[in-house]
Amino acid sequence: MRLQVVGLSHRTAPIELRECVDFARGGIDVALKGLAEHGVAQESVILSTCNRAEVYAIIESDAATETIGRFFSEYHQLDHRETAEHLYTLNGGEAARHLFRVAAGLDSLVVGEPQILGQVKSAYTVASDLQFTGSILNRLFHSSFAVGKRVRSETGLGEGAVSVSYAAIALAKKIFGKLSGLGVLILGAGEMAKLTAIHLKAQHVRQMTIASRTLKAAEGLAARLDAKAVSWTDLDRALMSADIVVTATGATEPVLTGPRVDEVMRQRRNRPLFIIDIAVPRDVDAAVGDLEQVFLYNIDDLQSIVKENLARRTGELERAEAIVSEEVTRFMSWVQSRDIIPTVVALRQRFEAIRQSELLRLEPKLAGLPPEARARIDEITRLIVEKLLLTPTEQLKAVSDETTVVAYADALNRLFRLAAEEQARAAADPDAASKVGRR
Amino acid sequence: MHLVPVVFYAAAAAAYAMHFASRQPRTGRTATALLGAGVLAHTFLIGMQTVEAGHAPLVGTTAAISAFVWLLGLAYLYVELTTEERAMGVFVAILLTALGLIPALMPSVVQRPAVLRSPLFTLHVVSLLFAYASFALACVLGVTYVLLFKEIKAKHLGFFYARLPSLQVLDAMNGRVLTIGWLFLTLGLLVGGLWATQVQTSPDPRAQAMSVADPKILVALVSWGVYSFALYARRARGWSGRRTALLSAIAFAIVLLNFVPVGYFLTKSHNFNF
Repeated sequence: MRLQVVGLSHRTAPIELRECVDFARGGIDVALKGLAEHGVAQESVILSTCNRAEVYAIIESDAATETIGRFFSEYHQLDHRETAEHLYTLNGGEAARHLFRVAAGLDSLVVGEPQILGQVKSAYTVASDLQFTGSILNRLFHSSFAVGKRVRSETGLGEGAVSVSYAAIALAKKIFGKLSGLGVLILGAGEMAKLTAIHLKAQHVRQMTIASRTLKAAEGLAARLDAKAVSWTDLDRALMSADIVVTATGATEPVLTGPRVDEVMRQRRNRPLFIIDIAVPRDVDAAVGDLEQVFLYNIDDLQSIVKENLARRTGELERAEAIVSEEVTRFMSWVQSRDIIPTVVALRQRFEAIRQSELLRLEPKLAGLPPEARARIDEITRLIVEKLLLTPTEQLKAVSDETTVVAYADALNRLFRLAAEEQARAAADPDAASKVGRR
Repeated sequence: MHLVPVVFYAAAAAAYAMHFASRQPRTGRTATALLGAGVLAHTFLIGMQTVEAGHAPLVGTTAAISAFVWLLGLAYLYVELTTEERAMGVFVAILLTALGLIPALMPSVVQRPAVLRSPLFTLHVVSLLFAYASFALACVLGVTYVLLFKEIKAKHLGFFYARLPSLQVLDAMNGRVLTIGWLFLTLGLLVGGLWATQVQTSPDPRAQAMSVADPKILVALVSWGVYSFALYARRARGWSGRRTALLSAIAFAIVLLNFVPVGYFLTKSHNFNF
């Protein structure tokens, strides 16, 4: 019994192939049932997103790997030789680590993106609702959700904007709380102005105003964005009512100078003003940034924030990987503690068999005792066996690394002839029962 | 028993600090639970003292500090639970611990002298304690506002940027607690003034010392002036953000000065410590 993942992702397969291999297209449930027809997996979950297609399965034999690999091409009617070279196969702890990294967003195209955790959850839910999952995959997937949550809450992996426009929006939110009630003024009607306006529009600002040296250009852009256009001469009045100002004109001299904004701020009674200057050369005099309640950011400032955020994300990778490793160890010790269970059961059965056979042997001597005394003897012998086995059972269950599990199981099998006992018992059991009956 | 609340407050301060640094939700919940336990233990303690003395333990500076700490803890918990915002916890819990040490280390229940046997006394003390608790929150909000403001202004987005709510939220909360605090301060001072005129015939030397020249009363009036100005500047002159934040921090320093050193050592009129 082995945990295995077979799949392809943006790391191994080109976009053309990823587009073809999409289990979600016909429904994950259909794909799961299709896989089940091959009868090679005891448990299975199919994860299919635009950047990856993976089958997580509990398999019995190596042949299953080949079958699952072929299932990828057969299900999508592709040439198996072409698909096979992009497939990866990971087993046991490595498979668990892979899923945990995927759930944490560590394997994503944009590292730390949060959507993947939801996709892993829904992939599991589909499989679990159809009862394709058992104890191992249940545990594995629930652990992966925990990893995703831990990485998000304990590291800064998903934090910080990684594009200039998101950095600007994040800053605006840190200043104003929510953007929905705010007025936005855009200076300029060029391409940069348009792109920024679209981004801000998506934040449901209260009102958007466009001002340009040529009123016609402003009106043109305003019409497309459902905004208001104002002429250049009305600029000061527009500044009065705005909370966020984006400047993106082609002017060679600063449009907003210190004294001009100072005068506007006085009339605004110092309501905070966030000015984003994305023009090169700059549209806003640096002195404007020194005014009380004015927050001035130019394109370089925003870019350096983005750079810092990217660096911080990279710095957080190590902490995220540490969390993944920790959870892989925990999951694998759980799996391995399951491996020792057959040995523990066999050992207990062996001891119980000895007790039973000794009681049977003493039967003639005990026959004369009253039933209460015989019950007491049964009780005492049972307790002795329990006590003898208590510590070894605990110790065995605490073992968590694979080599020790194998060594212990082997030693116990030899010392108590457990394997032989099991085989012999299968044959001898009816015999023993009839012996009891004869006496 | 007197140490129990302050031990919880100190543990809560440590947990809030850890939460502030690590931002783990679990640590945050632990911090809230510890603070809640501290306030609960404090409630029992104040209840026991009430039974022991036969009146609310509000006589003397030590008892007033204890009641203040309790009120502030309660007020902060209310704010935290309604706003789901824990970033302020570390600052508040440190203040609670520092002030909570005073009643914890010198617990005493002072019998109420004859001159204080009036319902006006309770109203006077309770309104002022409410005012001080609000001002303490305003101070914390002001300090955090300035810290965040500086980071955004300097274009160096770091520690506080990632942890504090937006400037707008901090400013709005500051305005709200300042207004509440000012209303209670005004009420407390008016009641105090009214009551002082009533007890002027009392032979108690403290009643005789009730005058504007007494340090405790003088500093209280100064703090009223500063808070009134802060509110006026906010509303009428459009002072907002950083200046009001700084002002509320300075004004609370005056309040604390009046509460502890003046209350213990300088005042003649409000000396009910022994």
